[in-house]
Amino acid sequence: MIRLLVIPLVMAALVCGAVIWSGAHGGQDRADFSFINRGDNKSLDINDMSWMQDIRLAFALWEGLYTLDPVTLRPILGCADSATVDPQTHKVWTIHIRPDARWSNGELVLAKDFLFSWRRFLETPGEYTYLHYYIKGAKEYSDAFAAYGSARLAGRTDVKPPDISSVGEEALDDRTLRVILVDPIPFFPALCAFTPFYPMNEASMEHFKNVDPVTGAVNYDKAFTRPPNLVTNGPYYLAEWQFKRRLRMVASPYYWNRASLRTHIIDQIYDEDPLAEFRTYDRGEVDWLADVDPTLAAGMLKAGGRNDLHIFNAFGTYYYTFNCLPKLPGGRPNPLTDVRVRQALAMSIDKEQIVREVGRLNQPISCDLIPKGIFEGYKSPPGLPYDVEKAKALLAQAGYPNGAGFPRLKILFNTEATHGDIAQIIRRQWLNNLGIETELNGVEVKVFGKWLNTQQFDIARSGWYGDYDDPSTFTDMYKSDSEENNAKWSSAKYDQLCAAAQAEQDPHRRFELLSEAENILLNEAPIVPLYTYVGVYMFRSNVTGIPLSPHEYLMFQGVHAEH
Amino acid sequence: MTATPVLHSPSAAAPLARGTPRRLRNGRIAVGGAVLCAMLLLCLVSLFWTANSNSNFYYDGQHTEVPLAPPQVRPLWMLFGTTRLGQSLLGQCLFGGVISLTIGVAAAAISLVLGVGVGIVAGYRGGWLDALLMRIVDVLYALPYILMVILFKIALEPLLNGMKIHGHPMLNPMASNLVVLFLSIGLVSWLTMARVIRGQVLSLRSLPFIEAAHAAGVPQWRIFLRHLLPNLVGPITVYATLAVPSAILQESFLSFLGIGIQKPLPTWGSLASDGLPLSLTPVGPCWWPLVFPCTLLAVTLLALNFVGDGLRDAWDPKRDGAKI
Amino acid sequence: MTRFIAWRIAQLPLIMVVIYLITFALVWVVPGTPFGQTERKLPAAAEASLKAEFHADSVLSFLGYYPTRLIFHGDLGPSLSYEGWSVNDVLRYSLPVSITLGLFAMLIAMVGGCAIGVFGALRRGGVLDYTSLGVALIGISLPPFVVAGMLLAIFSDRLHWLPSGGWGSLKQLILPGFALALLPMAYIARLMRVSMLDTLGNDYVRTASAKGLSRTEVIWKHVFRNAFLPVFTYLGPALADAMTGSFVVETVFNIPGIGLHFVNAVKNRDQTLILGTVLVYAAFLLTLNLLVDIGYTLIDPRIDITARSAAT
Repeated sequence: MIRLLVIPLVMAALVCGAVIWSGAHGGQDRADFSFINRGDNKSLDINDMSWMQDIRLAFALWEGLYTLDPVTLRPILGCADSATVDPQTHKVWTIHIRPDARWSNGELVLAKDFLFSWRRFLETPGEYTYLHYYIKGAKEYSDAFAAYGSARLAGRTDVKPPDISSVGEEALDDRTLRVILVDPIPFFPALCAFTPFYPMNEASMEHFKNVDPVTGAVNYDKAFTRPPNLVTNGPYYLAEWQFKRRLRMVASPYYWNRASLRTHIIDQIYDEDPLAEFRTYDRGEVDWLADVDPTLAAGMLKAGGRNDLHIFNAFGTYYYTFNCLPKLPGGRPNPLTDVRVRQALAMSIDKEQIVREVGRLNQPISCDLIPKGIFEGYKSPPGLPYDVEKAKALLAQAGYPNGAGFPRLKILFNTEATHGDIAQIIRRQWLNNLGIETELNGVEVKVFGKWLNTQQFDIARSGWYGDYDDPSTFTDMYKSDSEENNAKWSSAKYDQLCAAAQAEQDPHRRFELLSEAENILLNEAPIVPLYTYVGVYMFRSNVTGIPLSPHEYLMFQGVHAEH
Repeated sequence: MTATPVLHSPSAAAPLARGTPRRLRNGRIAVGGAVLCAMLLLCLVSLFWTANSNSNFYYDGQHTEVPLAPPQVRPLWMLFGTTRLGQSLLGQCLFGGVISLTIGVAAAAISLVLGVGVGIVAGYRGGWLDALLMRIVDVLYALPYILMVILFKIALEPLLNGMKIHGHPMLNPMASNLVVLFLSIGLVSWLTMARVIRGQVLSLRSLPFIEAAHAAGVPQWRIFLRHLLPNLVGPITVYATLAVPSAILQESFLSFLGIGIQKPLPTWGSLASDGLPLSLTPVGPCWWPLVFPCTLLAVTLLALNFVGDGLRDAWDPKRDGAKI
Repeated sequence: MTRFIAWRIAQLPLIMVVIYLITFALVWVVPGTPFGQTERKLPAAAEASLKAEFHADSVLSFLGYYPTRLIFHGDLGPSLSYEGWSVNDVLRYSLPVSITLGLFAMLIAMVGGCAIGVFGALRRGGVLDYTSLGVALIGISLPPFVVAGMLLAIFSDRLHWLPSGGWGSLKQLILPGFALALLPMAYIARLMRVSMLDTLGNDYVRTASAKGLSRTEVIWKHVFRNAFLPVFTYLGPALADAMTGSFVVETVFNIPGIGLHFVNAVKNRDQTLILGTVLVYAAFLLTLNLLVDIGYTLIDPRIDITARSAAT
């Protein structure tokens, strides 16, 4: 019997030892400001960043030529102390970097740092490389470089790499940059304030460099993004990063504007589960909960009485996409190629009901792709209204009176969150209003992404957040050659209008052209907008400086928590 | 050759010889069996209403004017309250019961056949066959289960959808989703049973009476049938009755991860995983989407477990515990 | 016997290789990549560049790079979804946490399960038998996420007796430990009970009792030891499962363990992390199963697993 007791005793001893071994990195000093971000950090390499949680940190760690004003979130000069554009063509920018701009290790920020980072974007393409294509010669260089790499891989040794000086970005001297644009885009300062245009410190990354002997491609081991290796030029530097526990940013002693910082130590806390996140916030351990579980938020909204719940319209739209290719996956003929069918489907969805039953956060219903009222001076087209009679008539015209003979289509969605519930409602609405039967096809998120992007769907749920402050971030999606055009819809007139807008110098005329384009998009209905996304924050009244920005941007230097 | 009197020990008696009817009237089976039958009957009979799209009890009937309504006695279909889309929770629970039990029984059957089969062969034959089978079990055990389920679904569903009899599809998409689900669960759950059965067989085959039977020249199949199998009934019954609840719970885990049953079909597990965030939110919780499916689930599974216990007690020849 | 052990140990690398290759094939075939977001399509050039960087663009480049690094440097490679962190890092921070929790949970499960099983068998049919079995069975009659959620809601949110999650103090170990222990405890209790009943019916028990041994001696020295065998078999995989964490418990109680990664890595299609976690789990499982097999002979000397077959 004693021998059998050995097992539990050994295990008990192991448990005690293990507790001590794995125990907390406990007892830290509390930060000035702590928050829970939107999710796991995916990457702190500017080149690979595209998720909001990473971009939020990038705004604190780096500073571009322009930065965003902490209160208005409009672009203001940041790392640069002057920027001028030539008055004739509005295409040539001359930017001067301020002499006291320094990296977090004390080195001076110079023009070559920006050029190094921008060149890297062209040679090692990332999600936002396309924003660089506004610069003259950038797209050509990037394509030529990729072709050079493939040729080298195929064994050819006679090819030469393309010339970087063909791209419209150069250093006139140590601290002056000249950028030549393809089109006179008015939002170039906003682009400069955004992550793809930040500088990088080449010297600190040198140690992590790998050069592929065959293609000449340069890669950096991502360990350079961890402290203490990461060198940045923003108000804060990355002081500490404990995997899945805590990330700490501390005010950089070399930041030129450190006197204006209202917060010096910032902690990002990790939690796995939305309810756990809420509990951490509710206990007072964090000052700001940047992403609240929708069910929880809806419950709190309904119960009322919480003045620390902040809901605001976001810069994005939830919509459904129709496959507009001639044939559906599986080879069946596609009824959605007929614009009347699409319009009928679009006009028979009761969006109020969806927001009331599933959204539950008073999301504004939308008949537009571009959120209404976001852009001053932009006149949103009316879009297709909810009109069941008209929808029935259109469907009958298209050859399916009361839905007779209409094939069974599948609605593709990912099973997370409430997408399934929304699909169920839409399915029922189409059945009741039009007599059409559809099937639900809920799949896991990665499968969904793959099928959405390769048109393996009949109807799919979609969503889009704008990247920069201009309507073209939405309208560019549905140009015929756009990779984001999942509906594979194309209209020559639409492309024409978009191209004209891009070359247009007068901002009012530009907005008019884009509005006309959006009008075509909405009327031809390759997509059905449902509602505008909302952002949900939680923070108490002792916290100031968190703007309720539709982009969900935040500049940490303007935030302050009174403890 | 018939068994000689030397071998006639109580532990080797054939199980069917003893007064079985008396044993079956044991308390556990009665209680568990009754509850189980009642539940099954209720779910099946209510199909008249829950599968009828014109009825208020229809599992997919979205009554949009009463989303997330608390339980009330009038009207009857709101006895358990309604879901977020206004569907009758009572209807969903009863219809979901049919689906859950189907998945449970089918998956358990698959895993039972595989597990017991492999376990017996491995334990009895020993040697290289045992080693090979156990190593295969080891490998399968280590593979990432979620990945395999995802792949199964993607690979098998189109296959099953495409199967036709006389030009008509054999299974509609919802049915093929169900088939893929219990295949995925059954084909992975047999591993532990195989190991346990193998262990039992190993310990049994080295017992003296088995060796004596060999020595006496009793044929292998007879030894197997009359001496080994009866003594395996215990662990087999235990695992079999644990297999059905385990399969149902596996499905609930898959639903929790979003790779379970396809909407709008409900199962108790998917109802529980949908109801969990609604009822655990600290602010404005709704208890009924979680409590009702979980109660039905717990009651049914407990009943299954009790029945299994009772069956094991009834069939096992060594049941008369020594009075010490 | 030593030959047997040596032979089993020699098989381990081969099995690991088979597991690695099959897992790699599964991950390769499933749709989806770790790169890019859901709704926006990653430009083809960017995807190609990322894949090349991580040696994930073709089967040959992956298998040519990562296995050699693993065998010669013990390096499982960078994680594809947590950029900047290597798989070794992820495992180093999360494995100790899960092991601790798992050992604690199995301790509770074993002690509690055996106690319930033994006393249930001895006092069969009594109130204690039914109630203790019922309590044990709750663990397998409700989905684990419901049990964990309810434990949290009752003991933490309502009664405030225990912290609601996180990791670092002994108090934070209790709730998740119990939540994790319920399932194996139910299995162990049932197996123990059945096995005890079987063993109690054996002749040698009556003989021992007739010989004059005290009741306690009979139970502990003869009955329990033999009845423990099926439970012992179950311990191997159960311990491996517990020590590699439970996704549900770690999510609900916010524990930074490795169980999270088993599911999240698959959801994120993080190939290197999937392979890393699978190898860790396989290592635990194979070692524990081997120990269990060896342990058979210690518990029941009559068992000779090296024997060819029951027939001569």
